[in-house]
Amino acid sequence: MIEFQDVSKFYDTVTALRNIDLSIGKGEMLFLTGPSGAGKSTLLKLIYAAEMPDSGRISVATWDTARLNGSTIPKLRRTIGIVFQDFRLLLNRNVFDNIALTLRVRRISEREVKAQVLDALRMVNLRHKVDSLPSALSGGEQQRVVIARAIVGDPTILLADEPTGNLDPDTAAGIMRIFRDINAKGTTILIATHNPTLFKDTGLRILRLDNASLVREEKG
Amino acid sequence: MPYSLKIALQSLWHEKWINLLSMLTIAMGLLVITLMVSTVYNINLFARKLPERFFVVAYLGDRVNEKQAQDIITALTERSGIEKVKYVSKAEALNELRASLKDAEYVLEGLNENPLPASIEIRFKKEAMGPESVKAFVNSLKKIEGIEDVQYGEKFLLSIHSLKTALETIGLILTMVTVSGIVFICYSTVKILFYRRKEEVETLKLLGATRAFIRTPFVIEGAVIGIVGGVLSMLVVITFYFSVFRQLSATLPIVRTVVFPGELFLPLPLIGLFLGITGSFIAMGRIKF
Repeated sequence: MIEFQDVSKFYDTVTALRNIDLSIGKGEMLFLTGPSGAGKSTLLKLIYAAEMPDSGRISVATWDTARLNGSTIPKLRRTIGIVFQDFRLLLNRNVFDNIALTLRVRRISEREVKAQVLDALRMVNLRHKVDSLPSALSGGEQQRVVIARAIVGDPTILLADEPTGNLDPDTAAGIMRIFRDINAKGTTILIATHNPTLFKDTGLRILRLDNASLVREEKG
Repeated sequence: MPYSLKIALQSLWHEKWINLLSMLTIAMGLLVITLMVSTVYNINLFARKLPERFFVVAYLGDRVNEKQAQDIITALTERSGIEKVKYVSKAEALNELRASLKDAEYVLEGLNENPLPASIEIRFKKEAMGPESVKAFVNSLKKIEGIEDVQYGEKFLLSIHSLKTALETIGLILTMVTVSGIVFICYSTVKILFYRRKEEVETLKLLGATRAFIRTPFVIEGAVIGIVGGVLSMLVVITFYFSVFRQLSATLPIVRTVVFPGELFLPLPLIGLFLGITGSFIAMGRIKF
């Protein structure tokens, strides 16, 4: 589903990723871990084409990212649900409209939008906050809205950048259950986190990044 | 309501003051264009009517008889650019003078013989009405045997022609500058709105929005700003027409000669719409992913 072949990425003189080789199978759920600044977020951005590699080749689903253009990038991104580390919630829209954006960019009918958004909100236990503005939510609630926005519309791939950073252990465990449920339906999930409790005893593959390189692969 | 329209209307309301200012500025710009177009339109109309009023008079010598005058008329009629050639005998000239003097006819009393010469009046076709072509024609007339003098409103013709050319040039330049100004206002407004919603646009891109999806609300906003500006200017023109122009034309005869070209003012909203959309497209440029 996702392939990296000798991928490197530089920001001016700083090396963000160096010679990354990586293969993620369809329907797999795995973790990407490492200290802050190791390159986790950059690796995720390369997958959804927010950044382009300086060398090497990346393929995601049926796309070779080097060949993407203005009309195919949106198509790629519509297959990927993203939990952004900085949330990227629109502060002047309520919870419903924030989640609905994922579906509205796909020109889905409003009736279908309503049904799917409410389903997603139920999954993250925020049905009662449907009309709230993000500013009226706690950090944990905002994070769950972001997760709902990422999972609504059944993405083929789900990328999560520190998805439980603002959540208490119980809610974090609940979110991980949601991810496992989605994964059980066949969605490929890559979770970037530096919280070891998330992948401990999961039996899932863990990719460890350090100093811009993929240093180790292990099982949780 | 389509999502793009809903977002555009929300933004128009949210940023109502900046949008209103843009609409008023566009209306002012369109009024300037309207004023220029009306002036040029009226001058052109006057210039088009000029051939009906303008003619050259060639005065014939006393020794030219009617047969010779007829030969000259035949020769002139065959020339290109000539609409009509009319012979005015000495007697007809005197009658015309008497008629024009009206109550002051007594000044002609005591004349033993008719002092007025016979003449030929020459009128031109519209396309032959340029100052240069008329002057060349007059010069050739002077060389014809039997014609003693030629008179025509050279300065008048030259003035009208110069005024028409100058107004057309100024009108064109002013219209182009104003049109560019209006496009720039729409461009600036939409650019500001675009920057204020930059975060939203970036998020939309990451969620898989196409360029068209991102652009559409901004194009709608530009279109609404342009069309409202156009409607405002049209309303001002219509109000001016009914409250000032018609009142004035009832009292001042000179105003009656001015034509108010309604067909040029009614499309103002459409012109505003077109300029608004153009400004929006330029403002957003090429959206990069």
